[in-house]
Amino acid sequence: MNPRARGSLAPYLLLAPAVTLFTLFMAVPIGYTVYLSLRRTLVSGLGLGKGSRKEVFVGLDNYAAAVGDGELWMGWLRVFGYAALVLAVMLGLALVFALMLDTARVRLARFSRIAIYLPYAVPGVAASLMWGFLYLPSLSPFDALFGVDLLGQSAVTYSMANIAVWGGTGFNMLVLYTNLRAVPQDLYQAARIDGASELQIALRVKIPILVPGIILTTVFSIIATVQVFTEPTALRPLTNTLSSTWSPLMKVYRDAFVTGDLYSAAATAMVIAGISVVLSFGFLRVVRNRAFGEA
Amino acid sequence: MHMNRLAVAALAVALVAGCSGGAPESGARDSAAPSSAPTEKVELTYWNWVPGMEKVVAAWNAANPNIKVTSSTQAGGDDAATKFLTAAKAGNPPDLIQAEYQALPSFVAAEAVADIKAQADPVKAEFGDGIWGLVTLGTDAVYGIPQDSGPMLFYYRADLFKKYGIAVPKTWDEYAEAARTVHQKDPKVFLGTFSSKDPGSFAGLAQQAGAQWWSISGDAWKVAIDDEPSRKLADYWGGLVKEGVIDDMPYFTPEWNKALNDGKLLTWPSAIWAPGPLASNAPKSKGKWEIAQLPQWNAGENHSGFWGGSSVAVAAGSKHKEAAAKFAAWLNTDPEALALLVKEGAVYPAATKGTSLLTEAPEYFSNVPDFWKQAAEYGAGARGFTFGPNVNVAYNSFKDAFDKAALNKSSFGDALKTIHDATVADMTKSGFRLAQ
Amino acid sequence: MATSTARSSHRANGSRRPLGLVPTGVLLLGAVYCLFPVSWVVVAATKTSGELFSTSTFALGTGFFQNLADLAAYREGVFWMWMLNTLLYAGGGALLATAIAAVSGYTLAKYRFAGRDLIFNLLIGGILVPAVVLAIPQYLLFAKVGLADTYWSVLLPQLLSPYSIYLARVYAGAAIPDALLEAGRIDGASHWTLLTRVAMPLMGPGLVTIFLFQFVAIWNNFLLPFIMLGDDGKFPLTVGLYTMLAAGANNPSLYNLILIGTFLALIPLIALFLTMQRFWRTDLSGGAVKA
Repeated sequence: MNPRARGSLAPYLLLAPAVTLFTLFMAVPIGYTVYLSLRRTLVSGLGLGKGSRKEVFVGLDNYAAAVGDGELWMGWLRVFGYAALVLAVMLGLALVFALMLDTARVRLARFSRIAIYLPYAVPGVAASLMWGFLYLPSLSPFDALFGVDLLGQSAVTYSMANIAVWGGTGFNMLVLYTNLRAVPQDLYQAARIDGASELQIALRVKIPILVPGIILTTVFSIIATVQVFTEPTALRPLTNTLSSTWSPLMKVYRDAFVTGDLYSAAATAMVIAGISVVLSFGFLRVVRNRAFGEA
Repeated sequence: MHMNRLAVAALAVALVAGCSGGAPESGARDSAAPSSAPTEKVELTYWNWVPGMEKVVAAWNAANPNIKVTSSTQAGGDDAATKFLTAAKAGNPPDLIQAEYQALPSFVAAEAVADIKAQADPVKAEFGDGIWGLVTLGTDAVYGIPQDSGPMLFYYRADLFKKYGIAVPKTWDEYAEAARTVHQKDPKVFLGTFSSKDPGSFAGLAQQAGAQWWSISGDAWKVAIDDEPSRKLADYWGGLVKEGVIDDMPYFTPEWNKALNDGKLLTWPSAIWAPGPLASNAPKSKGKWEIAQLPQWNAGENHSGFWGGSSVAVAAGSKHKEAAAKFAAWLNTDPEALALLVKEGAVYPAATKGTSLLTEAPEYFSNVPDFWKQAAEYGAGARGFTFGPNVNVAYNSFKDAFDKAALNKSSFGDALKTIHDATVADMTKSGFRLAQ
Repeated sequence: MATSTARSSHRANGSRRPLGLVPTGVLLLGAVYCLFPVSWVVVAATKTSGELFSTSTFALGTGFFQNLADLAAYREGVFWMWMLNTLLYAGGGALLATAIAAVSGYTLAKYRFAGRDLIFNLLIGGILVPAVVLAIPQYLLFAKVGLADTYWSVLLPQLLSPYSIYLARVYAGAAIPDALLEAGRIDGASHWTLLTRVAMPLMGPGLVTIFLFQFVAIWNNFLLPFIMLGDDGKFPLTVGLYTMLAAGANNPSLYNLILIGTFLALIPLIALFLTMQRFWRTDLSGGAVKA
């Protein structure tokens, strides 16, 4: 493989915009977050008036608190169960839909494609209201159908998973679909000429080509799902089954935006990032050699 | 002595900020001369979520060409407070902000709002002592000008009370009895609901019961969220929820709106601003609601509490604190401003003379022509309490603890203890001095 | 008619044709599942505030035009201002973000140079830190350089999208044959020519996808503009609509305005999608290989 640009500056110049943006808007804020995670405010006396509040260095105290918080670990347990469900269903559907969109004879493909992607476009502001109408017992058209309170303790995890699947399938479908479109069509033509059915082409030709895409979609989905926040936050005002610390990221949000403890939020966020790294690298290790097949 | 130190410190803040700004406005010292209007033009930004504030501000701008105020409509609630605190921390705050009474102490503790005693003192007489206490936090400083208040009253469906043959409850015992009657007559209908998502409502009812969640004793905070009146209140509602005669759906959800519309909820112990939400959430039951005094703990008493309400505060980082404070004072005491606030913003003014501006009943309550007179009477006995520096922690803990208690039908008293402990733990961790 | 051809050929060749119906059926089921909640937004946008909580959930209302008029009149038409702002943030942001992702992805896929993996991992690693926690530090830093509460404060942090760079790298790897680049190089084409004349056209369908993702992501981003902006004249739709929802406990939430606003906000996205998706049909990569 070649463009060996011996000592050329070209690749660095081409990457300069991305690296600059990364440094300014990711690396520096992340560094600042790490700095904050090592500090907290210390108040003296009543805490009213000048100088009664100062920021102090506390070492790893915030991390110790985050790791030692039983509620946070309960949150992880809840999230892992939820994530397994969402990942399996969402990615399964996305793969099936992408393959079907790419079959030669599918009709109404454009309609289906936009329809399946559209949920991604519904702004979060309306989500709570919308799911309220679809889930709350006295309003839901499904209440009679399922015969359970969709926001009750037994069903609420599935109700949230449904929101995530609904919202995320189209996105992943498009990633995989675009991936398929980038593959030279001659490959399929050759298989067709050999008399392979569409199903056989899908299973034997397309899926192997998609493997790196599937793996990385999975990694990204794992990271996104571990950071689950939107779905429980949308449902929380409607039900008393979800606490403000249902998921670890909700705890981060609560600390940063509700109780104003940016320091704990920063430490917990770093713990979340760490766990995301472990999970995604763990997954990559399992499927290692196939991930970057193209490089 | 400590209070004096606070005042001195606050003055120092004002002076330092004035110098560093390099603006002609010179901080607290000059403000003694009332007419020292800045000759140079200043521009002030004002974050708030009062509907129609642009019109009120336009009236000020027309009369005060040298102090131009720009109103910027923000989202209200918890994250509004966070947003302001973040902006203040970054040294980039608006000059003026709407500060809910329960959020003000955390603003003060973060040194995000200025002491505007010099501009506030002249208008002190316009407000009741209880309200004024909410902006001084019981110190010598003044951290905001009260804007609106939310004395609580009892809203009920007069038509359905007749239908179910119940009388307006005078005491909480009668309320419980009425709840049982209603629910027995129609298991789908409830007299009321306990909202685990609205700590403000619970705090108001706790105030009515005589609670003092926070207080300042010497130079230490005293926290008593599970004090005897609050515990009585929690156990009372916990009992009703457990018995199943009161619903446990939260307020302000689509389901609650529907229940109100469908006549499945007969009462709402709420604040004086309730006509607004009722009109938008339950338009179908317009003209069917009436108001009464909150049920009392002991027959013959006349107590109420406050739910909601806010003040206008001046950011400590503002370069034009004096001008900003002047505007805040005008906004909340000038007859023209008050009239506009009432008309455009549906604000229930905190200024005592503001109440006289409220003559015509809200459209939703056209069946109660003397709505404001009645409301003023029922709300007259409202008593508040001092809010502490971490109300956000207590309120968040409230939602979690009462969610759980309502879900499991477990002890509400224990939930209250959980909140108290979480609040104390947070204050201890932050280093606040606590009285024992 | 296409339909009849499909049907007749189905009869003619049973072993292959049923698949034409199965994918269509499955995709339509998926479409129904996804559209159902969205259709509620459309239905709800037609209801007056009275009908919203009193008529059946999926019954059409009578207030569509009233809602529209009320929204247009709300605070002297501030909604349209939010719409324009959002178009600016999403349009400008997505365009630049896509360009940056495309160039970076191509470079990472097609050049060998020291530090390549390190740079890639760093750029991608950004997604490990939740945006929730970055927003406040980003704000504090912007405030420090005096850029908080400006259009830039919302635009700039969204120009870098790790996911898009990753996608661009994958697309570049799959769509651009090395042989073609090699040929171009031998012909003496510069790096810039190879990038703009060879790589970018080949990555077309992928870049369309990336642009769509970026556009929608910025369109719907709430937290960053919420924290960055104080001036309500610079708000995007998400933050603007939120001010209608969270109007404080003592003010009514303007449900019907929020719903009609949400409905109107969907329209540009659908229009964009309809215009962009024709680019997927052109099979650029297929042609390239033959070339």
